[in-house]
Amino acid sequence: MRATPPRLSTWLLRRVLPPGESGGAILGDLLEELDASGNTAAARRRFVRQAWSIGIRYALGRTPPTRALPTQHGEAMRLDAFTQDLRFAVRGLRKRPSFAAIVLATLGLGIGASTAIFSIVNGILLRPLPYAHADRLVYVSETTRGERASFAYLNYVDYRDRSRSFDGLACHQATSFTVVEDPPRPVDGRLVCWNFFSVLGVQPQLGRSFTAADDQAGAPPVALVSDRLWKQQFGGDPSVVGRTLRTNELTFTIVGVLPEGFRFSRVEDVFAPVGLTVTADSGWLDRGNHFGLYAIGRLKTGATVGYAQTEADHIFADLKRAYPNTNSTNSGRVVRLQDRIVEMIRDTLVALMAAVGFLLLLACVNVANLLVARGAARQHELAVRTALGGTRGRLVRQLLVESTLLSTAGGALGVFVAFWLLELLIALAPPDVPRLHEVSLDRVSLLFAFGAATLCGLVFGAFPAFQASGGGRLHLLARASRTSSVMPHRTRRALMTVEVALALILLAGCGLMARTMAGLHAVNPGFRSDHLLTARFALGGDQWTAEKRLAFFDVVLPKMNALAGIRRAALTYSLPIEGSQWGSVFTVSDKPVPPRAQLPVAAFCPITPRYFETMEIRTLRGRAFDSRDLESSAKVIIVNDALARRMWPGEEAVGKRLKQGWPEGDGPWREVVGIVDDVKLEGVDQDVPMQVFLPITQETPRSVAIVARTSVDPMNVARDLEAALQSINHDVPLTKVQPMTALMSDAIARQRLSLVVLAVFAIVAVLVAAVGLYGVVAHSVTERTREIGVRLALGAEGRQVLGLFVRQGLVTAAVGTIVGLAGAATMTRVLEKLLFGVKPSDPATLGGVALLLLVVAGVACYIPARRAARIDPLAALRAE
Amino acid sequence: MASPAPLGELEHLVLLAILRLGPEAYGLSIARELEREAGRALSRGALYTTLDRLEIKGLVRWKSEPGGSERRGLPRRVYAVSAHGLSSVRASQRILNRMWRGLEGVLKEPS
Repeated sequence: MRATPPRLSTWLLRRVLPPGESGGAILGDLLEELDASGNTAAARRRFVRQAWSIGIRYALGRTPPTRALPTQHGEAMRLDAFTQDLRFAVRGLRKRPSFAAIVLATLGLGIGASTAIFSIVNGILLRPLPYAHADRLVYVSETTRGERASFAYLNYVDYRDRSRSFDGLACHQATSFTVVEDPPRPVDGRLVCWNFFSVLGVQPQLGRSFTAADDQAGAPPVALVSDRLWKQQFGGDPSVVGRTLRTNELTFTIVGVLPEGFRFSRVEDVFAPVGLTVTADSGWLDRGNHFGLYAIGRLKTGATVGYAQTEADHIFADLKRAYPNTNSTNSGRVVRLQDRIVEMIRDTLVALMAAVGFLLLLACVNVANLLVARGAARQHELAVRTALGGTRGRLVRQLLVESTLLSTAGGALGVFVAFWLLELLIALAPPDVPRLHEVSLDRVSLLFAFGAATLCGLVFGAFPAFQASGGGRLHLLARASRTSSVMPHRTRRALMTVEVALALILLAGCGLMARTMAGLHAVNPGFRSDHLLTARFALGGDQWTAEKRLAFFDVVLPKMNALAGIRRAALTYSLPIEGSQWGSVFTVSDKPVPPRAQLPVAAFCPITPRYFETMEIRTLRGRAFDSRDLESSAKVIIVNDALARRMWPGEEAVGKRLKQGWPEGDGPWREVVGIVDDVKLEGVDQDVPMQVFLPITQETPRSVAIVARTSVDPMNVARDLEAALQSINHDVPLTKVQPMTALMSDAIARQRLSLVVLAVFAIVAVLVAAVGLYGVVAHSVTERTREIGVRLALGAEGRQVLGLFVRQGLVTAAVGTIVGLAGAATMTRVLEKLLFGVKPSDPATLGGVALLLLVVAGVACYIPARRAARIDPLAALRAE
Repeated sequence: MASPAPLGELEHLVLLAILRLGPEAYGLSIARELEREAGRALSRGALYTTLDRLEIKGLVRWKSEPGGSERRGLPRRVYAVSAHGLSSVRASQRILNRMWRGLEGVLKEPS
C-alpha cells in the first residue's frame, strides 16, 4: 500500500525546495525511502526529521561546514556575516553590562509607556465598536440652543418616519429596574424600540428579539435579559424563555437572552420595549417633554453622516414650523456612534498619546546620545577594523545590527512594562470610561510595540552609523588614542538640546495639569463636602402614587435623622456635582416674556426642608422650606443667587413669582421665599446654572437622593442607613451609596489621570535629561583632563575650571529650554480642554518649569565639573 | 592548468560514494552507501546541499530519470563524477598518500 507522507513536512519541502525537477528529485528520494521502509511510525518520524533538515538548510541557504573555499553563494555569505555581527554585538554588550542596562531601561520605559497608552487609545478610540459594520452606526439626538438634548417622543416618531438615510432607526432610553428578589436588586436597563437590536446587528443567543407588537402601550410586558442576569438569577437555565422576571416597575415575560459580552454604552441587564411606557397620561406624547430618549441609526449604503445631518436639519426645520411652541429652539444632530460613545475621554487620550510620543522620542534621543558616546569611545576599534580591510558598509551594518539588537530587547522589555502599566492605568481611569473593558494588550498593541522598537532602532542607530561612515579612518586611528574628534561631541550637544526641549514640554504639560488640579481643589462648591453621605433610591411602579411616596418620605426622614452618627439628613431630586435631572424653561411674572428661543432655562430640584442645613448651603435672604409648605399650601420656591441676579438685577427677588414650563402652560405661579448661595451643579469645572428649589410636597419625584451629614466617617453609617430603609420597606434598595467626596473626586478623575500620567512622564523625562547632561559634561571632563591639567598648572583657579564646565552644560540646557518653551507653547494646546483656571500658554507655569529644569541641569553639570576643578595637575599631565 | 580546489572531507566521501555506486548513484542510494560504508548517518539536508555545491564546483554532473510509482512519479536524479571531479579525487588521494608516507610505523594498528 502506498503511504501518505506527513502533510506538514511535505508542504514545507514544496515551499522551500527549488521548483521543478531538482526539488522533485529530493522529495522523490524521501518518498521512496518512506515506502521502502514500510511506512512505519519510525520511518515517518525519520521522514519528518529529514524533511526539516532539508527545509532548514534550503530556507537559510546555508551549506554544511566545509573546509573548502567559500562558495560564490551570495545569500549564504550575507547570512553568515549577519550571524557574525549578531554574535559580536551580543559579546560587546555583555562586556559593558551597565551601558546595556541603561539603554534597555530607557527603551523599556519609553516603549512600555507608549504601548500601554496606545493600547488604551486603540481599544477605546481606534478599534471599531463590537457591532456588525459599526462604521455605519450613528447616534441621533435633538439639540436645543446648540446643546445636545434628548428627543421628545413625537419628534422622534416624525423624524423616523420622514428620514430616508437609514436602513433602520431605533430609539432607546437608559433606565433602571429593581428586580424583586430577596433582597431586591437594582439593575441598570434600557427601554428600546423593538428594532434596536437589529439596528445594532445583534441576535439573542436564546429566544427571540422584540417585535413591533411588543412595542406598544398595553402590550403584554416582555423583556430581553443579559447573559449575566440569565446566569446569575436563572442559573443559565436553557428554558428561561417564557419565565417571569418580576421588577418593582413591571412584571416581564422573558422572551430572549442577549449574547455574552453584549453591551451598549454601559453594563445593563434588562431591556424592555419603550412603547410599553408611552401611554396617554405619561407625558411621553407632549412635544415639550424630553425624557432622555436618544436614537441610533444604521446608515444606508452610500449615505454619509453629512447627508443624514442635512436631512435632519430639513426635518427639524419643518417640525419647527409645525410646532413653534415646543420646537422653536430645537434641531437634530447626527454623529458617528463611536464618536459619541468615546467623546468624554477623547481629549484626555489624545493629550496622553501626544505626551507619550514625546517620551518615546526622548528615550530614542537619549539612547542615540549614549550610542554616540560609545561610538566615540570605539573609534579606535573601528579605525583598526577599517585598517584591516573592513568595508564601510560592513561597519555601518555592524552598528545597525547592534542598535536593532538593543531596540528588540528594549521592545521585549517594553511589553512587560506595558502589561504592568496598563493595569495601573485602568485602575486609575475615571469611572464610566466607555469601552475600558475592551482595552487589552492585544495583537495590535504588540505590533505597535514591535513597530516602536524597530523605529527606535533605526532612529538611534542612524546617528552612530552615520558617524562611523564619515571621515577617513586611518587619520582617526592616528588620533583616537589621544583625544576623540569634535564631531561626536557636537552631535551629543545637539541631541542633549533636543532632550532638554522634550523634557521641558512634558514638564510644562505636567505643570499645567498640576495648576488645574490645584484650581479644581480650590473651587468652592457652595456646600461642605466632607462628612456627607449620599445615596439614591427609587419608588417605581404604579403602586407608588404621589401620596404614598410622600408618606414614605415622611417615615424615612425621621428614621434617618435618628441614626447614630447622622447629624442631619434630607432628600433631594438632584445632587450637586452629579448634575441636574430636570432642566426646564420658565417665565417670571413681572418681566416681558422673551421670544421662545430666548426663554431662560433653570435646573429644577424638589427638596425636603432641611436640605440646605444638611448641605450647609448658605441662605442669603428669606427663609428655607419648613413644615408650613404642604401640597395644599401656597406654591413656593427658593432660587439661587445666580437666578436672582440674572432675572431681577438690582431688585429684591424674594416675593417675586415664577412659572415652570412654557409661557402658555397652565402650571402654577410660584413665589420666591428665599435665596441661597450658588452651588456647583454640573461637575466642579462648570459654571453654576440658574437653579430653582421646590418643596418635595409640592413636586414629588419617584427617584430621590439621600444626603446625610455625619459626625463620623460617612461610610461607617452606610450599613445602618441601608438597614433603616429596608426595615421600612423591604422592596426599596439603596443604590450609589458613596461619600460626597468620592463623587467630587470622580468628577475630576479625567484631570487626575492626566496629571498622574504626565507627572510620571515628566519626572522620567527630567531624570533622563539630567543624567544625559551629567554624562556629556563628565565625558568632556574626562577627555579634557590633560588640558585642565595644563590650565591648572599655568595658574588657573579651580573656580574658573568649574565655571568653564558648568557654563558649557548650562548653555546646552538653556538652548534646549528655549526650544522647549517654543514647542510647549504650541504643544500644550492639546491639553486645552482638560485645563481649568489656567491657559495653555500660562507664562507663570512655563517660566516656573523652565527655571526648575535649569536648576536641575545646573546640578547635573556641577557634579562632574567639580571633579574637573579638583584634578591634580601633576597627575593629569603624568597620565599622558 | 589550475590545480583543483582541495576537497572537504564530506565532499570527498560523497564523490567516492558516487564512484562506488556507478549508474545507481542517486540521493537515497548515496545516503545509504555513506551510512553503510563510512558509518556516516548524514542529515539529508547536508547531503543535498553538498551535492549542490559539488555541482556548482563542476565536480559532478547529473541526469534526470523518470521515477516509478514508489516515487509518486517524481524524477530521480542520477549523479556521475565529472572529469574535473575525478582529478580532484585523485589529487586528494595523492595528498593523503604523501601525508601517509613514513607514518606507517606510527599509525600501525595494534595487532
